[in-house]
Amino acid sequence: MDAVWQRLDLWLRLAMPFFVSLVMALLSAVAWPLPYLGPVMPPLAFIALFYWAAHRPDLFPVSAAFAIGLLHDIINGLPMGASALLFTGAHQIVLRQRRFFAGHSFSLLWGGFTLAALAMTVAQWTLVCFLRWQIVPLAPVLTQMVLAAIFFPLPCWILYQLQRNVLGNI
Amino acid sequence: MLVHRSRSSGWSLTDVVPWRSVAHRFSYVLFIGLSLFFLILSHAQPDIVTDIRERAIDTLAPVLDAASRPMAAIDNVGNFIRDTVYLRADNARLRAENAHMAEWQNAVVALEKENRELRGLLNFKPEPGFSYISARVIADTGGAYSRGLIVTAGKVDGVRPGMAAMTGNGLIGRVVEVGDWSSRILLITDLNSRIPVAVADTGDRAILAGDNSPEPKLLFMPHDSVAQDGARVVTSGHGGVFPPNLPVGILREGPHNSYLITPSADLGRVTYVRLVDFNLRGDAFNPVEAKIRAGHRNKKK
Repeated sequence: MDAVWQRLDLWLRLAMPFFVSLVMALLSAVAWPLPYLGPVMPPLAFIALFYWAAHRPDLFPVSAAFAIGLLHDIINGLPMGASALLFTGAHQIVLRQRRFFAGHSFSLLWGGFTLAALAMTVAQWTLVCFLRWQIVPLAPVLTQMVLAAIFFPLPCWILYQLQRNVLGNI
Repeated sequence: MLVHRSRSSGWSLTDVVPWRSVAHRFSYVLFIGLSLFFLILSHAQPDIVTDIRERAIDTLAPVLDAASRPMAAIDNVGNFIRDTVYLRADNARLRAENAHMAEWQNAVVALEKENRELRGLLNFKPEPGFSYISARVIADTGGAYSRGLIVTAGKVDGVRPGMAAMTGNGLIGRVVEVGDWSSRILLITDLNSRIPVAVADTGDRAILAGDNSPEPKLLFMPHDSVAQDGARVVTSGHGGVFPPNLPVGILREGPHNSYLITPSADLGRVTYVRLVDFNLRGDAFNPVEAKIRAGHRNKKK
């Protein structure tokens, strides 16, 4: 019986990165008590994707990136498949570059995220404009990106604590 | 090439095995293909995608609802503190407003009586009554690309696409997607929102067009309009989307002879909405589609 519990415990721990990303994707849409936050709410799902793809890609495969992207599209009313496509691409890029910014200093990780968020913002804006065939105002999109870059350390710290306490040496 | 090992001795999820690398590359191609499939599907068969979206949001609604409750509780505490601090000032303002309103009430009662009598003389066809469905906002969606809300009322409660969403102060948007227990509202500030409106004082008609900014603009305003800053803007009732005279906002002259609207409702802090069924025919939501359907019906006859 113990063995079953142990396996269940291990399974839950291994599934943690995906479920935390899921919760973060939902949290970025929840009606927060801060007024006027909605339009500039940093995309928490992308922060989670970046963190896990950089630190534990073995527990956050491309299928997870795709699923989180699709959920992001569904909740936010974006063209379905747009974020799924970009998140899948971002997962690949972060995975290829992870040796540069993961495991070194935090500032390098932060810098890496800022660059990734900028690239993501430009790609997403271009894709949404193309799909809707209209120019979507760029200012709120950039504001959102800048806020995401500024507040990155906070969710990052929470994810780091989760990784340390839940995953430990797994 | 994926060359990393998990740190435990027994659980190495990604060993360096050639077939794994192949599977890894294949999975990227697969998921990019799937994403493109969804993108093409949402253009080719928008109904199917809308249906998937409605079902998914219905499934997620209880989670969003549960997550938004602590947020609402925090908001309530904030409101309580603010109300307590401004109690005296609010009281004085409300007294003054009340005195003003009492004068208005007298005028309204007299006008209503006169109006009823005149309508009686003209055999005026009364407008259908309104029914309301109240719903709580559980998600503020769209991020930087669109402006929308998800609320806790759906088909089961009688919500239909095209219903007007209002707060006590005025129109905030319309229902665009309806699941069984939840629906999505497109706010008047969204880039894709177009609502026929009129300036209450002058009767000038225009289209209220959202641009994702907090202040939507007025399109096709007559050049000779004498409307001034501070004029009330209401729905015009054209196109059959909304009935006339729902308050929308206050006019403000923008740069380059443009007109902006400051919405009457505070769109940044909406917690409850009223979805209003004006008993207009459901077809009227999409005039073009309605015409096509009417055409089919006539052919059948």
